This record gives sequence, C-alpha cells and structure tokens, in this order.
Amino acid sequence: MTTTFLPCGVYHENYIQDHAWWQTKFIKGKMLLLFFLLFILIPLLADTYILSICNQIGYTILGAIGVQLLIGYCGQLTLGHAAFVAVGAYTSTLLILEFPWPAILLNLGLAYPISIFIAGLMAGLWSVLFGLPSARVKGFYLILTSMAAQFIIVDFIITQYVSQIGGRGQAFSLPPGTIKLGPWLIDSDLKVYYLMILLCIICIVGVANIMRSRVGRAWVAIRDNDISAEVMGINVIKYKLLAFFYAGFIGGIAGSFWISNLAAISPEHFPWSWSLWLVGVILIGGVGSIHGTIFGALFMVLVMESLQLMVLPLADIYPKLLMDFLFIKEAAFGLAICMFLIFEPNGLAYRWWQTKNYFNLWPFSY
Amino acid sequence: MELFLMSITTGVMVGGIYALVALGWVLIYKCSGVLNLAMGEMTLIGAYISLSFYSAGVPFLLSLGLSLIIGFILGIITERIFLDRLIGEPVLTVIMVTVGLSFFFKGSLELIWGTDTQVFTPAVFSIEPIRFGQIIIGQVYLWSFIAAIILLVIFVCFFKYTRWGLAMQACADDEMAALSIGVSARFVYAVAWAIAFMAAGVGGTLLGNINGLNISVGYLGLLVLPAVVLGGLNSIPGAIVGGITIGVLQNLCGAYLDRYFPGAVKDIAPFAFMAIFLLFKPYGLWGWERIERV
Repeated sequence: MTTTFLPCGVYHENYIQDHAWWQTKFIKGKMLLLFFLLFILIPLLADTYILSICNQIGYTILGAIGVQLLIGYCGQLTLGHAAFVAVGAYTSTLLILEFPWPAILLNLGLAYPISIFIAGLMAGLWSVLFGLPSARVKGFYLILTSMAAQFIIVDFIITQYVSQIGGRGQAFSLPPGTIKLGPWLIDSDLKVYYLMILLCIICIVGVANIMRSRVGRAWVAIRDNDISAEVMGINVIKYKLLAFFYAGFIGGIAGSFWISNLAAISPEHFPWSWSLWLVGVILIGGVGSIHGTIFGALFMVLVMESLQLMVLPLADIYPKLLMDFLFIKEAAFGLAICMFLIFEPNGLAYRWWQTKNYFNLWPFSY
Repeated sequence: MELFLMSITTGVMVGGIYALVALGWVLIYKCSGVLNLAMGEMTLIGAYISLSFYSAGVPFLLSLGLSLIIGFILGIITERIFLDRLIGEPVLTVIMVTVGLSFFFKGSLELIWGTDTQVFTPAVFSIEPIRFGQIIIGQVYLWSFIAAIILLVIFVCFFKYTRWGLAMQACADDEMAALSIGVSARFVYAVAWAIAFMAAGVGGTLLGNINGLNISVGYLGLLVLPAVVLGGLNSIPGAIVGGITIGVLQNLCGAYLDRYFPGAVKDIAPFAFMAIFLLFKPYGLWGWERIERV
C-alpha cells in the first residue's frame, strides 16, 4: 500500500497542492457527503439501536487507532492496549467522582472534558512505563511485556486497589448528571454519538497529521528497520517511547469516552480479550493504514451484530442458542482473524486502495 | 521454615506440569518458529477430552491415552489447516493466527462443555495427604509431578533416540540442511504441533485434577510464556527449568506476599517477574542470542 494515484488529467503545480489533504474536487465533495452523513443523516434517521452500534464502532476505532499507531506505524507489537483504555476510564471516573472540583468548573461543565485530557495523560504515562522494555527488547518479547502490563494493571492494580477507593465495591457507577460537556448533559445515545464523532475526528486527524511530520516519518523508519533508523540519526528509544505515549494517550481518551456510555465501569470491561480484539481489528482492516482501522472496526462490529441478528430468530426454536451466542461470537471472531490473515493478509484497506486506484486510473490502468 | 519448604515442594510439583506444557511450546517454536499463544486453550482441549472419557466410565489412564491420541490428530489437523500456509510470514501475522485459534478453541470449548467448573468424579487421586517429615503434600500434586516427569523423560528420549525425534532436531538446528538430506520439514511441523497438543493435554488433565476444570485453567496455560522466556525460547532444558522455577516462584509469592498485597499476587507474580527479567536478560538463560544486521 503505497501511494494513491491521482485521477487521469489531474496534476499539481506547486507544493501546497501536493501536500493538501483533499487534493481534488471529487474528494472534497466526498468528504462533504461524509460529514453530511455523520452529522445530519445518521442522527436524524437512526434509532437508539443503530446509534448504540455506531457508538460501539466509534469506541472500537478510538481504541484501535492507538494500536494502529504502535503496531502499524511504529512496529512495536502490543497485546495489552486494553490496560491503557482501562487506566483512562478509571482516571476519568475517579476524577469525576472523587476530585473536589471548584464550583465554577462544575457549573461550566468543564469537569468531564478536563478529566478526558488528564485521563489521556495518565494512560500515556503508564503506557510509557510499560513501553520502557522496548528499549531493550522487541518483537515477541515486547508482546510479553505488554501482556504483563495487561495483567498487572487490570487484574492486579485496578481490581485489587483502585476498585476499593471510596468503598464502592467492584463497580463504579456514575450518577446521572455528572458527565457534562460544557452546558450539555450527556445522557442519551445521540449525545454520546456526537461526542464520539467529535473525539474520533480529533484523534484521526491528529494521528494522520503526526504521520506527516518528522515524528511520523521517524516511526515508519523504526518500523521498517530500527537499526538503519538508528544509523540515520533517529533517536530510536525516544521515538519509541513517544509512540507509546501517543498510543496510551489515545487509549486513555477512548476509555474516558466510553464511561459516558457505560455509566458503570468495572474491571471486566477491559479484559485481555479486548486487547486481542483491538489487534484483530487492525489486522482485518489493514496494518499501517488509518482507513484500515476504520474499516476493521466497522467490519468487526457489524459482522458480530449481524451474526446476532441471524441467531435471534433461531432462538425461538432452540433457546440454548441465546445463551451460547457469546461463545459463538468468540469462535467466529477467532476464525475470522485466522481466515483474514491467511487469505487476505493485507486487510480490507488494501482492497479499498485497489478499488480507488482502479477508478482513478480508468481507462488507462496500465 | 515449614511454610517455606511446603511452598517450595508444591511449587516444584506444579512446576513439573508447567514444564511439560512449556516443552510443547518450545518444541513448536524450535521446529517451525511459530510463537504460540493458543497454549492455554490447547491444555483445555486435552483436559476436557480426558474428563469426558473419564466421566463416561473409562479408566483414568485409558482416558488419558485416548486424549493423547485425539490430541495428536487435532494437532496435525490444526497445523495443516492454519499454520502450514503461514510459513515465512511476519511474526505478528503468525502470532495473531494463534491468537485467533485460541479464541476459536475457547469459543468452541465453552459451546461444547459450558463454563461451569467440572471435576473428575470419582476423584482420581485420593485426597489423603502424604507426609514427609514436616512437609505435607496432596497426593494429586505428587502423582501429577511423577506423571509429568515420566512424560518429560519419554519426550526427551523420543528426541534423542527415535528417527522422528532426530529429524525434528535436525530441522530445528538448520532447516535448509535438514531439507537437503531428505527430512520433510512439513512433516516435522505437523509432528511438533501434534506433540505440543499431547503435552498440553496431559498438563491440562493434571491441572484439572488439582482444582477442577473450567475455562480459567487456560490461564495457567499462559504461564508457560514466563517459563519459556526464563529458560530461553529455544531451549528444551530451559523450558523445564523455567517451568519449575515459575511454579516455585508462584507458590512462594502466594505464601509470603499475599499478606502485604492481598488478592491475585499468585497470578500476577510470574508476569511481573518476566517483565523485569526481560530487561536484564532478554534471551533467557539458554536462548540463542539473535544477531541483527541491517
């Protein structure tokens, strides 16, 4: 997946055109349509069920984009990203519940936005802490340390200690009215949806822009060959840790977004299988592509939902199926990952790229 | 002192089982270079199969043998369907295929056997503990340890003295050279998976005898990862030493640290230890150091 070719007859005359995000009128129109769809059409037409699926997709995108940054762009394998999502979620919840906010901030509704940011920072720092071994080890060994991060953070620190703060027992519930974004109280799926779209756009644009900067190019160099990157004068450790920080930051944002939808969080929301799920999402979507993250999230959530819709009518005949659905889902997810990696190792983004180029180059595709 | 000795002996006994499972893991890695994260589910498969046979009234040893045979077949099938096509793919791809496999296995297991804890009834080993001076050990632990050691010896002899074992050693040592003298690499991969399935199945059966069998026993299968990292990824003696060390470490932490950090210290300690160990000795005790060139 390298470059997308420009359509026949389009050429650039200066660098500004060459660096532009949306290079042709067609793309601008397409993006306008997308905005129209996301901000007007879906909120207008969708019912609560569809909105909740959209929110799930958004959460998956937010979680997976950090994994994409680490695995797809910086080449640091990780299987423990859910831990940092959990750190974000818990930081945000604790800040909202326990921190003595000044009345003025509460009245302005800034408590939640500030807690999102702090949650991001916190998750980023934890991510850097567990990214430190990347200075010494890589590949499979790094997977092991990230797994250690998952078990230590979620199963130990959060379950045993953080959950005890305030004496609430295992689950933290957020009383209604605590999650406010400015003057808006986030209490319905529609409002969560708008928040999700906002955060997704910020994170996607942020990552896409980082990738066009020196930092992004350094990451790609490290991914392709870290020894030659070092030879070229890139401070490998610094950039690796930076990648861990950004990935953790976005993970933290994902976690602190998700509490607005959950209203009660417990460590079971961030199991190891969720980390694996996020890696599966980027592998199905396509490694090293932001489109891929979005496609992967869409694919995974939609396929699982349609699987559920297919199972539901059968449940009348065979009621045990409803109970077993969770297991069917698990097995189907595993099989989907295997099949994609074996038969479509470049992911959905590769097909997207091929189709786009086919139409761009048409009729002179050779 | 008593507590110390007891936790060490129990640790060594449980560690023997880990060593057996770790041996299967190392075998797959040595022969085919696949880093397998589905080991936990593989232990569960073998355990559930032998449990089913045992519940149906088959004698324990026979049901263990039957689960070995089924494990052998399943191993070959898994390798042929999923991993044969992935030779030469990047590390992440192969690892994620095994992760996918683990999800698939886990889902299927829960579908077939449910999530409730099942125990071997009637109990295979008598609950009467055995005393050695001050040390008291459950019979389950002792017999599991003996069984694990016997199997370890059988496997090691298999590698040293049989034709298949020698072919596998050759393939692990230098694949190209092995191919040129007529060793079929594909056959070796298949046998490696089959043996790993068998070892994991026995390990799972023994673990299931200790505390009953449910999906979370699969987590114990994940403990092979710290064990193999400790020993070095491609060293069979390393896997055995690593497995026993992790067993001892786990029990010592359970005995002494639980007071200060209540909760799941026992489950977390191996992973925390592994993360720190990796910082100092990334290639384990006896692993090959990888030399990288641009």
